[in-house]
Amino acid sequence: MKIKLTSILVDDQAKALHFYTGVLGFVKKTEIPMGEHKWLTVVSSEEQNGVELVLEPMGFPPAKIYQKALYEAGIPLTAFHVDDVTKEYERLDKAGVVFSMKPTRMGGAMLAVFDDTCGNHIQIFQV
Amino acid sequence: MTYYQQQFISIREKSFPKDYLCKQVIRGKEFIDSHFHNPIVLQDIAQEAYFSKFHFLRLFKLIYGKTPHQYLTEVRIEQAKQLLKTDITISEVCFAVGFDSVSSFKGLFKRYTNVTPSTYRRQYAYPQPITQSSLRFLPYFLSLKKSNFQDIQPRTNTDLCASSN
Repeated sequence: MKIKLTSILVDDQAKALHFYTGVLGFVKKTEIPMGEHKWLTVVSSEEQNGVELVLEPMGFPPAKIYQKALYEAGIPLTAFHVDDVTKEYERLDKAGVVFSMKPTRMGGAMLAVFDDTCGNHIQIFQV
Repeated sequence: MTYYQQQFISIREKSFPKDYLCKQVIRGKEFIDSHFHNPIVLQDIAQEAYFSKFHFLRLFKLIYGKTPHQYLTEVRIEQAKQLLKTDITISEVCFAVGFDSVSSFKGLFKRYTNVTPSTYRRQYAYPQPITQSSLRFLPYFLSLKKSNFQDIQPRTNTDLCASSN
């Protein structure tokens, strides 16, 4: 058994694609139309054969309640690894990304949390 | 302050030493990151972090959940994986990442990755194209109306591999 995909729920796939590729710097891997939604995945530009992140549409209404509750509590939906959290923070801050937690140390790790504009908080970490 | 931030601060206070101690331990970890290819021992790493050997060992394990020696081995194995993608021989890889015995390198590599260095070189060093098997629908997709799926056409591997930017 292998982990090839992981997913995040987004309120708008077009907006999500713009943010995850245009702002964060991921690369689009697969886009297949499925009626009103798409099968849409992105990968890290550093690991283009690595795990794919599915930008998953909000097809199931109760999922909105879950997403909203996490968002209001400030809980990140997922986390991405970066080499230098402070540098990423400066880059994204300049690009207009809103951070709910600036770079903060937790033991041996450094973490920060930002808003992905699609209804989620996302954490970046460096170990 | 969000609920997450409150929890974060509370967990940090309960679980980790003071920030200045963490920073010292991180110095030791960074020393491993930049000197792994040399024959370094615990004494060298602890000294870099201004701790006694045993104090450093205890704090490192608390912060990273593994011993400095385990971490050093992991760093060497990760580096070896990268070098196995090049043309150099397996014994050259072994010495380049700081191990001093080819047989113990092979044993450790197998223990950490489940495959031998030569198998890794053959199977994993060159990325395989993604296949249709990676296209599996996730729970929220399954809840979409069935009619939404009617326009899905079978795709070839070539289509799926094409990354459109």
